[in-house]
Amino acid sequence: MATEKILDVRRMTHWPGHMEADYIYTLGIAGERFFREIKENGRISGAKCKQCGQIFVPARLYCEKCFDKLTEWVDIGTKGRVYTFTVAYVDIKGEKLEEPIIYALIKFDGTVGGLVHKLGEVALCDLRVGLPVEAVFKPQPDRTANINDIKYFKPAK
Amino acid sequence: MFGKKRVAVIGAGMTLFRRTLKETGKELAWEASKMALDQAGLELKDIDSVVMGTAPDAFDGVHMKGEYLADGSGAYRKPYSRVFVGGGTGVFAVDAGWWHIASGQFDTCLVVAEEKMSSCYPHPAYAFTTIFDPIYARPLGVTLIWIFALEMHRYMHVHGIKKEEIALVSVKNKGNALDHPCAQLAAKITVEDVLNSEVLCYPVQRLDISPTSDGAAALVLASEDVAKKVTDNPVWIDGVGWSIDSTYWTNRDLYYPRYVQSAAQMAYKMAGIKNPPKEIDVAEVYDPFDYKELHHMEGLMLARKGQAPKLTADGVTQRDGDLPINPSGGLLGVGNPIAAAGTMKCCEIFWQLRGEAGKRQVKGDPRTGLAQAWGDLMQYGSVVIMRS
Repeated sequence: MATEKILDVRRMTHWPGHMEADYIYTLGIAGERFFREIKENGRISGAKCKQCGQIFVPARLYCEKCFDKLTEWVDIGTKGRVYTFTVAYVDIKGEKLEEPIIYALIKFDGTVGGLVHKLGEVALCDLRVGLPVEAVFKPQPDRTANINDIKYFKPAK
Repeated sequence: MFGKKRVAVIGAGMTLFRRTLKETGKELAWEASKMALDQAGLELKDIDSVVMGTAPDAFDGVHMKGEYLADGSGAYRKPYSRVFVGGGTGVFAVDAGWWHIASGQFDTCLVVAEEKMSSCYPHPAYAFTTIFDPIYARPLGVTLIWIFALEMHRYMHVHGIKKEEIALVSVKNKGNALDHPCAQLAAKITVEDVLNSEVLCYPVQRLDISPTSDGAAALVLASEDVAKKVTDNPVWIDGVGWSIDSTYWTNRDLYYPRYVQSAAQMAYKMAGIKNPPKEIDVAEVYDPFDYKELHHMEGLMLARKGQAPKLTADGVTQRDGDLPINPSGGLLGVGNPIAAAGTMKCCEIFWQLRGEAGKRQVKGDPRTGLAQAWGDLMQYGSVVIMRS
């Protein structure tokens, strides 16, 4: 078995350090509008490029291919399909999660891109690529204009 | 010919790759650089320019690593720059070294790559959590492993590939590493060992992944004039390529690495290679995860889409096969000090083409070799093609 022999760096003569830096990120021009639509109207938005005709999800300020400003916003509905998924058993620090979390890339028909999000209300045995899913939003008063205003996606009826 | 001058590799060096090394990052860079200079038969005063490759500052924990590592990289009072394209850095640094000389500006260039991931405590994986989009991805608790898991799953789904087919890569590479004196995770393992290892994020398991490592690697590049004076067997850099796909990984073909294909096409065109599987004798393909070796073989057009697992199962990619892939042991076996791992691959191709790979030497008389790395937010490809 190739198991790594962990050699704790603290066993060597050392000096402990810390790189402290906190950040506040603005949502941006497109991001602010995208999340306001989610928060106020429970709508997921795409933006259509006039040159190539593609609709990008989430909506953005410009087309990365044509470099044109995207001015046409489109309501793409709240239903998509699972393009690929994973079941995470460890957290961000590599520690075992109490309950596994299902993450998926959800694509929306007729658009480019998609959203990475959690899946809920689904048994592991029912997971499959191609599964139709729909967004489950937090109650409107609890939304704060961020990606977790969508609680998760669940199998669509 | 591309560029004003033909460019040769004349020396290579690397440190041990280990989970934790006592040496500082500077000391590691110096050790690899000195070894490469010694093999080239040059001294630092003979070096006109230096390219340093190193990945996120957060690993070493020094927030301007290029500057911090300068002395160990031999940069003292020389034209010096750090290049950084994530995991693609180790091969891209060699591409950058190439243009230093091909442009006609310099006659020699020391290329050195370093990573000291053990400084990031308790685990360097945590430094990866800040590479993702802060608005759309990080609030979900995104980790590096589940992003790879999503890609691996899509690749498996599209081609109907089974985990046991992918596990063969881990078995092969860790086995190859048994012959590498610097290897961190050399081992004789079985497919069952991989399939029975801890599931981290389905379908990714513990033994599908390369380790985190400390280490450095270096190459000395020279113009044709200099190379012919100092060595009878230079290895030529005949192709370089680099490319990036969409920054939104949700927009990419997850089952197929187009960024690698674009980088490879650039390098193949330059090297005059029309039929890669026939013309490439040995390749070091970027393998931080076992499925990535297969994925990247297809992007490099060394295998048709979905066919890399079959070549692996048939033994074609073994060290004694028709198309040896990762005879060094790769990142899965030798270790993965990010930038240094890519440069280690270039060192291996150099040693293979010179017939200096010892017990790792592939059969026959390899004349054309390829090294590839992959990086940034999983959409950057860098390629170098060498000929003896």
